[in-house]
Amino acid sequence: MHGLFRWSSKWWPGVIPLVVFWAIAAWTSTPPLESDLAARSTSALKDSVLDKTRIAVAGRDVTFAADAFSEDGRRSAVAAVQAVPGVRQVNDETRLVPEAKPFVWSAERDVVRVTLRGSAPLPASKGRLFEAARAGLGGVEVVDQMNLSRGAPPRFDNAAQLLLDQIGKLKDGKITLSDTKVSLSGMARDLGGREAIAAALKNLPEGFSVAANEIKAPPYIFQAYKDPVAVTLTLTGYVPDNNVHGALATAAGRKFFSEKVVDNLKASVGAPSGFAAAVAPALGALSRLSTGTLVVTDREVKLSGDAFYDAAAAQIRAGLGKDFPQGWQFKAEISVKPAAAPVDATVCQQLFSDLLAKGKIRFESGRASIDPDSAGLLDRLVETALRCPTANIEIAGHTDADGEDAFNQALSEKRAQAVTDYLVKAGLPAGRFTAMGYGSTKPVAGNDTDEGKAQNRRIDFMVRE
Amino acid sequence: MAYLVTFHWTWLLASLLLGLAMGWIAVVHRGQGVSKRTARWLAVLAAALVALALARVIPGRPGYWLDLGLIMFALYLAGCAVGSWLRDWALSRDAPAA
Repeated sequence: MHGLFRWSSKWWPGVIPLVVFWAIAAWTSTPPLESDLAARSTSALKDSVLDKTRIAVAGRDVTFAADAFSEDGRRSAVAAVQAVPGVRQVNDETRLVPEAKPFVWSAERDVVRVTLRGSAPLPASKGRLFEAARAGLGGVEVVDQMNLSRGAPPRFDNAAQLLLDQIGKLKDGKITLSDTKVSLSGMARDLGGREAIAAALKNLPEGFSVAANEIKAPPYIFQAYKDPVAVTLTLTGYVPDNNVHGALATAAGRKFFSEKVVDNLKASVGAPSGFAAAVAPALGALSRLSTGTLVVTDREVKLSGDAFYDAAAAQIRAGLGKDFPQGWQFKAEISVKPAAAPVDATVCQQLFSDLLAKGKIRFESGRASIDPDSAGLLDRLVETALRCPTANIEIAGHTDADGEDAFNQALSEKRAQAVTDYLVKAGLPAGRFTAMGYGSTKPVAGNDTDEGKAQNRRIDFMVRE
Repeated sequence: MAYLVTFHWTWLLASLLLGLAMGWIAVVHRGQGVSKRTARWLAVLAAALVALALARVIPGRPGYWLDLGLIMFALYLAGCAVGSWLRDWALSRDAPAA
């Protein structure tokens, strides 16, 4: 032992090369050591849920900064880095993600993009929401402006996912989830979209509720265009269901006796209440126009076009609104068609016969009240009568052979008189018309078939010079 | 420590071999040794450095360099001791034979 002390006093010269070794070792080994420790620390954190992780190594000391989502998670992440072999000490700069109160998440859609804002609870759920938005809205740009925060309500992911599905049904608008309250605003993309969203919201996870649903439906539009050149009636837009569709098509066929009905209607939910009750009289008014357009937008009915004569224009303006259900509005822009050139009595007779061959003046069964569906035809007859102002006209009523002769005679007279009254009300001088009833004495077809009887029930216009 | 050994085994081995060589030479070296007083101061210095390293007071890279230097120095000393002892043992074995 004494020798060791003696010898050790002479060990110092070796320290000089040792120092050289040390300097070289320190010089060459520091950068690889630091990158090795950084890689090991990073892989130790592989299973930790963290945000904004940053690892800086100086020598064997690791500076570790990250946002953790729970105190336990934060501690275990720091411990994991501390446990990495070779790490001397950890400078802990971790913190908890700030808590959001209230926890607000929103998805906003405008024309070209969807923007996700607010808070998401975890990076994984943030990523899932972003991917779901991209997948569900194929082609629409998705902008992710979500932050990460603590304090999300339970089942947040399910609720947000469900709301994200609804954003696809909006044309524009915003869906906000504030803690467990859902607010929606904006405009649905399609008719029925508002109802579909309302139905989907019933499936919100337990604990979530709808605070405000201000989704608007796009306007419910029905259009009819009467084209006098092509002699067509074009129907476009929406009807509530197939029953209403069928009823409107049948009514259009009756009211527009000479026009071909082009039916491009589609059935869709979201119709305002009283739709059928408002559209049917509006179509009747359109049938009295020479050319015209009927536009029904939600509860607003807009009718524009040319009436055949002044009194018709006034009647349409005054009469239509009265037939509408409560809450419906009516706007009429009716002008009067320029008077057609006068014609002589022979041409007038020809025009009357042509019109009455295309359509018949209808009455209520067994009575002398004119069916409103015949207003279009009567207006055309008035217009024709105006073209031959000097001609006197006999209006002849005929019935089929059913029932008693006396009754038929009286009915035919009353019906002829009703037509005459209509013409006089339209502004024609009463002196030009003679109402005659012939009962069933002048049949034009056999009375043994329903078809024949229908042909015999008629009003004829005979021009007398 | 185990990590440093596996990471720097070449440098540590070099320090050990240097120590063995120095220890081997020191037994028959005739030059001036370190005085007792100086040796004491050096021991105090070494102890202070070890204390600093254990207390992890020096941060970052200098801290790492201190650790590395101390380990190399420790192995050097161990090498010296073994070397000197071996030389002494070899001499004492040779002497009776001669």
